[in-house]
Amino acid sequence: MEHARHVFRALLLLAAVMAAISLGRGFLVPRSFGLHGPYRFDNVAEQMAVRPPRHGGAASCTPCHAANAGKRLAGAHRTVSCEICHAPLALHVADGRRSAAMPIDASFTLCARCHRKILGRPERFPQVVLEQHLREQGAQGPIQGRVCLDCHDPHSPKL
Amino acid sequence: MSKRDESVSPNRSPSAAAPAEGPSEIARRRFLATVLRLSGGAIVLLAGVPGAGGATGEAPARASGEGYDWSEHRYAYLIDTQRCIGCGSCVRACAAENGVPDGFFRTWVERYVVGLEDSHVDSPNGGKDGFPPIQASFVATKHFFVPKMCNHCRETPCIQVCPVGASYRTKDGVVMVDGERCIGCAYCVQACPYGSRFINPVTHTAEKCTWCYHRITKGLRPACVEVCPTGTRMFGDMKREDDPVRQAIEHDRVAILQGHLLTEPQCFYLNLDREVR
Repeated sequence: MEHARHVFRALLLLAAVMAAISLGRGFLVPRSFGLHGPYRFDNVAEQMAVRPPRHGGAASCTPCHAANAGKRLAGAHRTVSCEICHAPLALHVADGRRSAAMPIDASFTLCARCHRKILGRPERFPQVVLEQHLREQGAQGPIQGRVCLDCHDPHSPKL
Repeated sequence: MSKRDESVSPNRSPSAAAPAEGPSEIARRRFLATVLRLSGGAIVLLAGVPGAGGATGEAPARASGEGYDWSEHRYAYLIDTQRCIGCGSCVRACAAENGVPDGFFRTWVERYVVGLEDSHVDSPNGGKDGFPPIQASFVATKHFFVPKMCNHCRETPCIQVCPVGASYRTKDGVVMVDGERCIGCAYCVQACPYGSRFINPVTHTAEKCTWCYHRITKGLRPACVEVCPTGTRMFGDMKREDDPVRQAIEHDRVAILQGHLLTEPQCFYLNLDREVR
């Protein structure tokens, strides 16, 4: 009888510990943890909806800007998506309506990102040293302040 | 009187008590050991079985979300270094798409200037503002750009070291961080051999490329691929047989970064130079 009481006490203690663990686990471990692995599965859906896509792709510009879109597709910049030089669609359109003006960067810096001659660029890619390019083209006057857009149309840059 | 009383103080008369006490003492010891082992096992069992305490047991077979089944996709990324012109559009697009804080990068572009004698690597502001002209102090025999990002490894060191299960890999092959679980210990930042992770200075949790999971699950391409003007960056689905990226990985000579680490990157490179790590 004495021994049975020992066993009973130990089992009771064990049951209490197990209950405490499972109760604690219920509170501490998120509901979807472990459904597909040791992570919170709900986060997958959260990541899918973390924010609406901000870049719309070149096709998203065509409905309103068919002329420039068509010109771009016919020229040497056909692979250069509108959002590269302008900005993500989300900056300009919200809920299918124009929300703000699209930034237009007409600086040399914008063109230089792709076309300034630097070490690293593949040789066959068209690139210029601005001063040298202007001299070659017979430009007069100071180089300072001259930008590519003085002569080139960014939507169809070939002259 | 009883054996119980004597056993409480067995040292009182060791020689006399020992023969009588022997069996009971051993039985008790054995009993305690068994109980300890059993309870230990029970704890392991309770902690290890998914959903034993918390989850209610409804196990959705597919990822939640409207019309997207993650078991139908397995994504891969392909970078052709020969095409990259180092414009940094991808870095800017990534920052705009994902709200990446200034000075931190989910993707970046490196410039390699290599000669027989020496080599030079730079990545000013991750290539976000393009690259300035430089003069090599040695005879440069080749020079090129290499876009870098999370390799979404199949055997990730970053997930292995996460102590709270915040880092994980989805069934469609994307490694992501659960910002709600992340405690910002930065073990994963140290574990990643590619330097693809950082601790967000605002949220103080680990952050990394998600292949724009909010875009690809809607059928769009990651922002970096969307804006790449030269087709350097390509994103594909290995579960689609006619996918150009899958075709290239299947048939062309592709390389991976730091293959000796056996992380099985899912980001593949075409025309990769040996100088690139």
